[in-house]
Amino acid sequence: MNEKIAVLMGGRSLERDVSLRSGERVFGALKELGYRPLALDVTPELVDTLRRERPDAVYIALHGKFGEDGTVQEALEFLKIPYTGPGVTASALAWDKSLSKRLFAEAGVPTPAWVTFTADAFKEMGAASALDLVPEAVGGFPVVVKPTKQGSALGLARVDTSEELPEALLSALSFGDAAIVERWVEGTELAVSVLDGPGAPEVLPAVEMVAKSGVFDFTAMYTRGETEYYCPARLAPETAEEVARLALACHTLLGCRDVSRVDMVVDADGRPWVLEVNTSPGMTETSLLPMAAETAGLSFQLLVDRLTRSALTCRV
Amino acid sequence: MGTARVVFDRWDGRYAAAMADVRSSAVRDLFAAASRPDVISLSGGMPDVRRVPHALVEKAVRDALRHDGASALQYGSSEGRRPLRSIIVGLMGESGVRLSEDDLVVTSGAQQGLDLLAKVFLDPGDTVICEGPTYVGALQAFSVYRPRVECIECDEHGMRVDLLEEALRRLGPRGAKFIYTIPNFQNPAGVTLSPERRRRLLELSREYDIPVIEDDPYGRLRYEGGHILPLRALDPEVIYLGTFSKIFAPGLRLGWLAAPRPILAKVLLAKQGADLCGSSFTQAVAEHYMTGTAWRRVLADLTRTYHERRDAMLDALAEHFPADVTWTHPEGGFFVWVTLPGHLDTKPLLAEAVERGVTFVPGSDFYPAGQGSNSLRLAFCYEEPAQIAEGVRRIAEVLEDKLALYHAFVEAGVMPGSPGAPRQEVSR
Repeated sequence: MNEKIAVLMGGRSLERDVSLRSGERVFGALKELGYRPLALDVTPELVDTLRRERPDAVYIALHGKFGEDGTVQEALEFLKIPYTGPGVTASALAWDKSLSKRLFAEAGVPTPAWVTFTADAFKEMGAASALDLVPEAVGGFPVVVKPTKQGSALGLARVDTSEELPEALLSALSFGDAAIVERWVEGTELAVSVLDGPGAPEVLPAVEMVAKSGVFDFTAMYTRGETEYYCPARLAPETAEEVARLALACHTLLGCRDVSRVDMVVDADGRPWVLEVNTSPGMTETSLLPMAAETAGLSFQLLVDRLTRSALTCRV
Repeated sequence: MGTARVVFDRWDGRYAAAMADVRSSAVRDLFAAASRPDVISLSGGMPDVRRVPHALVEKAVRDALRHDGASALQYGSSEGRRPLRSIIVGLMGESGVRLSEDDLVVTSGAQQGLDLLAKVFLDPGDTVICEGPTYVGALQAFSVYRPRVECIECDEHGMRVDLLEEALRRLGPRGAKFIYTIPNFQNPAGVTLSPERRRRLLELSREYDIPVIEDDPYGRLRYEGGHILPLRALDPEVIYLGTFSKIFAPGLRLGWLAAPRPILAKVLLAKQGADLCGSSFTQAVAEHYMTGTAWRRVLADLTRTYHERRDAMLDALAEHFPADVTWTHPEGGFFVWVTLPGHLDTKPLLAEAVERGVTFVPGSDFYPAGQGSNSLRLAFCYEEPAQIAEGVRRIAEVLEDKLALYHAFVEAGVMPGSPGAPRQEVSR
């Protein structure tokens, strides 16, 4: 077990800091496991370094743009270096919330009503004059506004009145060229991780998050003590079962490989709604996938080992 | 050959809890890593020391060794060398402040003064009041001592003392440990506290028994308008921070802290723990620079240079920036503060600016927690006028694209209120 594993982390994404924390933990685990890990940042020298170092596999601990949207995956396939996590297509689909929600809806996976706005629709087609239709389209306020392609809740805002909507859209569109307005589902926030196993994929226990500020934003997400976690989530058995079924459905629907983390909300009637799928879940000390794995009896080290093994054995 | 290797901090997890609150700006770290030599920097507030003639500094160093060699190479007093303190007393006198050598200590830059004051005054959870936006180095210095930071909004006349009064009424007498202000050409907002507001601020400080810290690094760099008396000139209880960084050079790390004697005694104790005494050598060099060279001519040249650059920036802003972007008109100092309409967020825009070869600092860096996201700071102190104009033009290109979006909203009549109307914060 002394394969050389390059851990990709950092990068020029707004989630650089989080990724460095994920990467460092993964690096530590790989080292303890007896691999020869190599910590690499995404810099203009990355491809050169990879070609020179010839790692046996790459562990992708990147979050956000380039790391989670299929870009790095595409480059690694070209270099013929196996890597952890979902492939190019699944990454690109999950990264675009508008596309993945469309797929969910078509497959009958419940996802809150939404509309997508592109910056071009506003600039070139006068879409702003149709904002009054938003409440009806999504079932009234409150709504949540977020960039279609951005992780870690950056640019996300909850909006309670139609007066606040344009401002929130401007903020979300600062982060990218499209944003979605989605009905706000009040309820229990869940993260449900799915791991591919030797046989069928395995759904890990759901993690329940309670943000002290009320909104699960960037600060709440990455600051110790800002959020309370329950794992397994405090759900009725039949709800837990339904949540697991949906997580698996999303994982399969997007064609995820190795791992995915499905974020959901369970409303007051016990009905789960899928919000989005993450293909490069955080691996920091406050992250949800490691928490779920731990609850399922899978230590952080074993989790990393399992993902790495899969990359090493399954493909070229 | 270049490499993409990452080096970890293997001591992580063993640091003091207080360090967890001290964060460098994630966005700036990100783009510091991507800095190229051809990038026009409108982000850093660096004095243009290229204009300080080396011959003068050489003379000061030679004189320091020749006349004060023995003492300049030895430990000195914690207060700092007396001749330098006399020079500072003279400088302060020129600004309208009367004090004696015993009312001040020499510090390692005004930054050390901030740290010492925080150390002397703050327990975890204490409240400090500052301007919003404010100097990022002050926020950094304070944050190690884990205070609650209350920001008072600024307008073109500096800190809104009416809002300060509201806050003080809520906090009550001695409800905050101090009020921190940069009255002249504020960093980052570029605004100057008006004489009326200075008086009102001092009344409130007395009424609520909360000391004022006056940070005045740019006071002598005025390009228009008349001199305004420092707060310390109006009230001897004001704690004053001064620096040689802008009148000589920041590389010497020389500043000073003037305060009422009891406070000064505490500061001295803290300073002894920090560094026993400042650098005798740079103090001696500064003494000879300030007495044996034509430093006033150098400062006049620097002021003229910054003045030209400020004009270049203001002209470029007027020429290239869209009408609904607003910016401040600094009468001195280094910075212009730009505000975008609506909730356009400047953090992601920095990435696009860097791609076009120009940098700025996103506004949220100057607040303790997330405010100011639709603003940014531009520094005009370091680049030549042509570079400044080009940098502003490039930023304008980035803004244009996002503003087209804003205009689409305005034309559709969906933006709340008219431009400039008070905005409602959206929870995020």
